[in-house]
Amino acid sequence: MVNYESVIGLEVHMQINTKSKVFCECSTRFGSEPNLNTCIICTSQPGAIPILNKKAVEAVIKTGLALSFNINKESIFTRKQYFYPDSPKNYQITQSDQPLCSRGKLSIIVKGKEKIINITRLHLEEDTGKLVHKVGSRKLNYSLLDLNRAGVGLMELVTEPELRSPEEAFEFLNELKNIVEYLETSECSMEEGKMRCDVNVSMRHVEQQEYGTKVEIKNINSLSGVRNAITYEIERQKEILDSGGKLIQETRLWEAEKKITKSMRSKEGALDYRYFPEPDLVPFALTNSFIEGLRKEIPEFPRARKMRFIKDYGLTEYAASYLASTKVIADYYEKALSYMEDKKASSELLANWIFTELNAKLNVSKIFISKSPVSCQNLAKLVSLILDGTISRKIAKTVFDEMFEKSSDPEKIIKEKGFTQISDKSVIAKICEEVIYENSKAVSEFKSGKKKAIGAIVGLAMKKSKGQANPQLVNKILLEKLKT
Amino acid sequence: MDEILKIKANDLRSKICSGEVKSLNIVKACVTRIKKTDSKIRSFLKLNENKLLEQEATCSDKKIESGKKCGSLEGIPIGIKDNIMMKGESMTSASKYLENYISPYDATVIEKLKKAGAIFIGRTNMDEFAMGGSTETSAYQKTTNPWSLEHIPGGSSGGSAAAVSMGMVPFALGSDTGGSVRQPASFCGIVGYKPSYGLISRYGVCALASSFDQVGTLSKNVKDSALLASIVMGKDYKDPVCEPREQIDCISYIDDNLEVLKSVKVGIPRQLFNYKMDTEISENFNKAVDKFKFLSVKIVEVDIPSYKYIPALYKIIMCAEVSANIATFDGIRYGYRALNAENLDDEYAKSRAESLGYEVKKRILFGTYVLGAKNYYRCYHQAQKVRTLLINQISDAYKKCDFIFSPATLQMPVKFGETLSEECDVFLIAANLAGLPGITVPYNFTNSSMPVGMHFMGSRFSDVKLFQIANAFEKISDFDLNKYPEL
Repeated sequence: MVNYESVIGLEVHMQINTKSKVFCECSTRFGSEPNLNTCIICTSQPGAIPILNKKAVEAVIKTGLALSFNINKESIFTRKQYFYPDSPKNYQITQSDQPLCSRGKLSIIVKGKEKIINITRLHLEEDTGKLVHKVGSRKLNYSLLDLNRAGVGLMELVTEPELRSPEEAFEFLNELKNIVEYLETSECSMEEGKMRCDVNVSMRHVEQQEYGTKVEIKNINSLSGVRNAITYEIERQKEILDSGGKLIQETRLWEAEKKITKSMRSKEGALDYRYFPEPDLVPFALTNSFIEGLRKEIPEFPRARKMRFIKDYGLTEYAASYLASTKVIADYYEKALSYMEDKKASSELLANWIFTELNAKLNVSKIFISKSPVSCQNLAKLVSLILDGTISRKIAKTVFDEMFEKSSDPEKIIKEKGFTQISDKSVIAKICEEVIYENSKAVSEFKSGKKKAIGAIVGLAMKKSKGQANPQLVNKILLEKLKT
Repeated sequence: MDEILKIKANDLRSKICSGEVKSLNIVKACVTRIKKTDSKIRSFLKLNENKLLEQEATCSDKKIESGKKCGSLEGIPIGIKDNIMMKGESMTSASKYLENYISPYDATVIEKLKKAGAIFIGRTNMDEFAMGGSTETSAYQKTTNPWSLEHIPGGSSGGSAAAVSMGMVPFALGSDTGGSVRQPASFCGIVGYKPSYGLISRYGVCALASSFDQVGTLSKNVKDSALLASIVMGKDYKDPVCEPREQIDCISYIDDNLEVLKSVKVGIPRQLFNYKMDTEISENFNKAVDKFKFLSVKIVEVDIPSYKYIPALYKIIMCAEVSANIATFDGIRYGYRALNAENLDDEYAKSRAESLGYEVKKRILFGTYVLGAKNYYRCYHQAQKVRTLLINQISDAYKKCDFIFSPATLQMPVKFGETLSEECDVFLIAANLAGLPGITVPYNFTNSSMPVGMHFMGSRFSDVKLFQIANAFEKISDFDLNKYPEL
C-alpha cells in the first residue's frame, strides 16, 4: 500500500448581497416571476453598456479585508467568452489579471488544531441566468430562458491547493460562510444557489513534491456534499493509482443522489475562453480612504466574539458558541444585555432564554430572530423581573407566551393579569397552613421520613397561589412549619 | 435643387427661430430632394412617414410663432445612421440579423436631439455593423457616391455622407471606429468629425469595437458639425467611458477671421511621404501646405515611426473586440433565428451563418484567432503594446505642434467591386487608436470633379480648437461649399 496525500483546492462563488445587479439597475430578488428583473443591459440588447454597481465592489473589498487580502487599488474587468444561452452577451464580465483582492488567508480549526489556508484571489464577476427544461414535473422538448439571475453580482474565491482532507475543506467552507454571513456581503445559502463550490482534487505520494493529476468536481450543492464528493473522489483516485492506472485531467460532476462523481469533459475538451480586457468599463482606481472606510465597517467575527462572550459575560462554551455563530442572534443578545443593569448577573439567564424559549418559539412559527415579536428590550425586562423576584420562572413562561403572541411589554402583562409574585411571608404562611391542613396524607408521609413528599406539598401550595407565590419562600416556610 | 436646401444648419437655426424660414418648408424640400434623387443614391434605408414629418415640422413652426421656448435644433432635419437606437423604430445596422429588430430605447445622442427639437428624416445606410469602408457590405442596398455614381461613397457611414452631400439633409450622425465618418465624408466632399474618445456617449450605439467607437457628425461645413457636436456631447453615466465633461457651445469659439492661423503650429508626420498616394491627393496636399506657408502658418515635421504598424494593430484589436461584441447575436433572444436547427450548437451556427455577411464573419474569425490562448500574447497583447507606443509617439509629436495635418485618405474613392488598400485610412485610424479628435474638411475638386479632403487630428479633448482650425482651413480651401452634385 502506498501512502497517499490528497491535495485539495476550492473555487467558491458567492452571490453578492446587493439590491441591484452588478452591471445594471435590475433587482436581485430571488423567486420573482421569470424575466421580471431584466433590462436592456442584462438581456444584452444592441447598444447596451454595463455600468458598475459600486455597492458590489464594496462588498467584495469588505470580504477581502475580512480575509486579510491585499486590496489591489487598480483593478480591471475581463471578458470571458463562451456561448451558452444563460449568458446573453455570450461572454461573462469577470476579472483575471488584476482582481480586486489577491493573497488572502483564513484560519480553520480541525481536530482542535489551527491551520492557515492561503487564498489566491477574490474577484468580482456576474452570474448567469437559468435554463428551464421542466414545468412542474412535465419535461419540455424545448428550453425556456429565465434571465432574472443574469448579471447578479458574484464574488469568486480561489484557494491555494493547501487543504488536505474532506474535513479541512468542510471546515474552510463553514468558517468562510460564518464570516461572510457575518459581513452580510452574501447570504451564502448553498440550497438557494447563493453559494456554489467547485473542488479540485489530486493525489500524490506523501514524500512527493510535485502535484498529481488534477480533477475538478462541479455541481455540488451542499456543504455535506462537498465533504462526500471529496471523500468519494479520493477513494476513486486511490483505487486507480493502486491498480497501476493513470488519472486523466478532467472535469467531473457530483451526483448527490448516487453519491458518485461522473466524467463531464476531459482537458482536451476544455474551452478556450479567449479572455481580453473589458473595453466598456474603465479600469478603476480605489483610494486609500475608500478602503479604510470599508475596513471600519468590518464587524467582530464569530470566533473572537465567542471568546469575548465567555470572558466578559461568563457564558458557557456552549451558550457562547450558539449565540456567536449567527450575527443576528449575537447582536440580539448583546442589545438585550445592554438594557440590563447588572450585566454579569443577568448574562447567563438572558442567554438561556434566547437559546431555549425564544429559539423554540421562533422555530415553531418559522420566524427569523430579526423579525422576532419579542423585542430585545422586552426580553431584557422579563429577565430583570425574574431576577428581582417580581415573578417566578414559571409565571415568566406564561408571560413570555403572551409577549410572543402580542409583542407586548411584560410589565403590562403582569399588571393586567395580576401575575406579580407573592413574597409576603404572612400571606405565604397562610397558604402553607391551609395546604398542610387540607393534605394530611402527604404531610404524614413526609413526617414518616418520605422526604420526597415535600415536592408534592410545595406544588400544591404553588397551585393554591395560582403560581404567584415565591417558590423559594414556599419551600422554606413549609419546611419550617412541618418540622414543628 | 431648392435653394432652401443650401442654407447651412447653423443659419437655418437662426432663420427658423426668427420665423424667416419655416421648418415645414425645409422638411418638404428635403423629402422632395430625397424622392427625386435617392432612387439613384440609395442613402436611406428607411424614411419616416411624410405625414408625420410634416406634423412635427408644423409643430415646431407653431412653437416658434407662439414664442414658446424652442430647442437649439428646433425644426431642423437630420439623418441618423442605422446603428443608433431610437425607441420604437427599426435598427438594422444594415444586417439581415436585425432585419425585424425594434429598438426598445433611445440612445443618449437621440435623447439629446429629441430635446433639441431636431426632426428625424430617416435612417441611413451603412456597412453591415459598420464593418467596411464602402457601404457595400450593407445587407440591403449599395449607396453610390453622389459625385460619380460608379464610385463608392466610402463607409461605413456612407449613407449619411451621401445624403448630406446630395443636400437631402443638412447634417447627419454617423459612427467612427476606424475612420467610418471621416472617410466617407471626404469621399463625398463634406465635413466629417470624430470626437475625442469619451466626449460623446456611446450608449445606444450598436457596438463594433468598443474601445474605438465614437458617434461622429457629417455636415456640409465645419460650423454645422460643431453645432451638432455641441448638442450631442457631454457626460452620461450610462456610458462608463464617457468623460464627466459639460456640454460646450463649440460654435461660440469659432471666429470667421483667420486669426487662429497665426498662432497655430501644424505638424506633418515625416512618415506621410513613405506612403503611395493617388497623385491628385498628393498634389492637393502639397497645394494646401503651400497655402499654409503662404499665409505664414508655422509648419513642423513630426516623427511618428509607429504609423507603419497602424493597419495591423487596428485590425487585431478591432477584430478581437468585434468577435466578442457580435457574439450576442446568437439567434436566441432576438434577431434572426434559423428554423431548421437540430440542437443548440447547430442553432447558433445556422442562425449566424444565414444572417451575417462575409465581412462580418471574416472579422469574427480573425478576432477569435488573435484572442485564442495560443495567440493572445503574440497577437492581441502585442498589438496593445504597440498601441501604447503609438500613443506615446503621438503625444511627443504634440509637444512640437498643435495638430497633425494629412490628406484624409491615400486613395480616391474606387469603383464598386474594387478594393481600397489596407493603408488607405491610416491617418484617420491613428485618431481612433489614440482616442483623439479628427476632422476631415473638403479642400478641392479633382479634374474629374471628385472631391479631395484633408484631415486634422488634435490632442485629446482639444475638440474646440480642432473646430477653429478646421473652420479656418475651410475658409482658405478651394472647395465650393455651395456646389451640390447634379445627377
